[in-house]
Amino acid sequence: MQEQETSKGKKEINGFLPFYTNAFDRVFIGVVILIGIHLLWLRFMEPALPIEAATVISLVIGYIVVRRG
Amino acid sequence: MRNPRTGWLLLSPTLIILLLFGFAPFLYVLFVGFNQWNVFSADDGLVFNGLDNFRRLVFDDDFLHSVGLTARFAIFAIGSEVVLGFVLAQMLTRNFPGKSLFRIIHTLPLMVAPIAVGAIWRLLVIPGFGPVPFFLDRWFDLKYQIGSYPDQALWTSVIMDVWHWTPFVTLTMLAGLSAIPKEPVEQARVDGANRFQVFWYVTLPFLRPVLLTTVFIRIMDAIRTVDEVWMLAGGGPGTRFTGIYIWRVVFPRTDYGYGSSISLITLYLTIVLCWLLFIAISGRRKGEVE
Repeated sequence: MQEQETSKGKKEINGFLPFYTNAFDRVFIGVVILIGIHLLWLRFMEPALPIEAATVISLVIGYIVVRRG
Repeated sequence: MRNPRTGWLLLSPTLIILLLFGFAPFLYVLFVGFNQWNVFSADDGLVFNGLDNFRRLVFDDDFLHSVGLTARFAIFAIGSEVVLGFVLAQMLTRNFPGKSLFRIIHTLPLMVAPIAVGAIWRLLVIPGFGPVPFFLDRWFDLKYQIGSYPDQALWTSVIMDVWHWTPFVTLTMLAGLSAIPKEPVEQARVDGANRFQVFWYVTLPFLRPVLLTTVFIRIMDAIRTVDEVWMLAGGGPGTRFTGIYIWRVVFPRTDYGYGSSISLITLYLTIVLCWLLFIAISGRRKGEVE
């Protein structure tokens, strides 16, 4: 995973996301994914599986995004 | 001279005001969004109900319909404003007779309050009184009634928004165009670039920050539009945008908890949309030079 410093002194990494991200970007994307998954889960999946499953899935995805995004 | 403490001291009044009037109300709405709070219900206090408001929201056809309508309104209004604003700004960079007068007249709608804009357009399009339905009927035999036809109400809202906000886009684009140095444009012309190539490879990259800021401001404004559309159509079919739906839930129905949850999801959608646009326009994608 490549790491580069921008002109403003922020560290950005070249992960699997299609753009360079700093730490704030990756946490933000993690939160956006968390909310999105919960809303979609409430709409489509809740009769089959409880909402806690959505929390676990979104936390795992959030962790991957923050570490490798 | 560079003392961080002095910087924070100078920033502190703004930060305090932002925290008090921006962040604290947001936290309160976040709290209310997870509660049931209806003053006309049996228990008129706040009752924690977890995700129930959001569970109700994702199945609420009226809300989902309002999101779709708002998206259509925002796409067509902002798209038209950006194209028109750019063309007018290009025109205003050149000299022509009556340029100053045109610039003043063109900027006038910006000075009118949204509620007055709604009132003006209502007077223009009200059936049996306004000139627009009269002439459309007389010249094209077209029945124009925004209270009866949702599509007509939506398109009238779009045209009204374009009329009101295109001057703002023109002014920002004009500022952006004025800041472009002449040398790269002249170099491109010497190298044989045609007008489209000059626009695409020179003008547009220089305009990118201005374009981004303008579209951000317009997206946020378009998504929260209430007053002028309310004045125009009274929340009738075709104009039940998200802002108007929130108003209906919060005020006449006094369902504060549910209204807060809709506000939060609208904020979420706005932030995600602006962020995606930022990534697309700002040049942070891989393979692009910042």
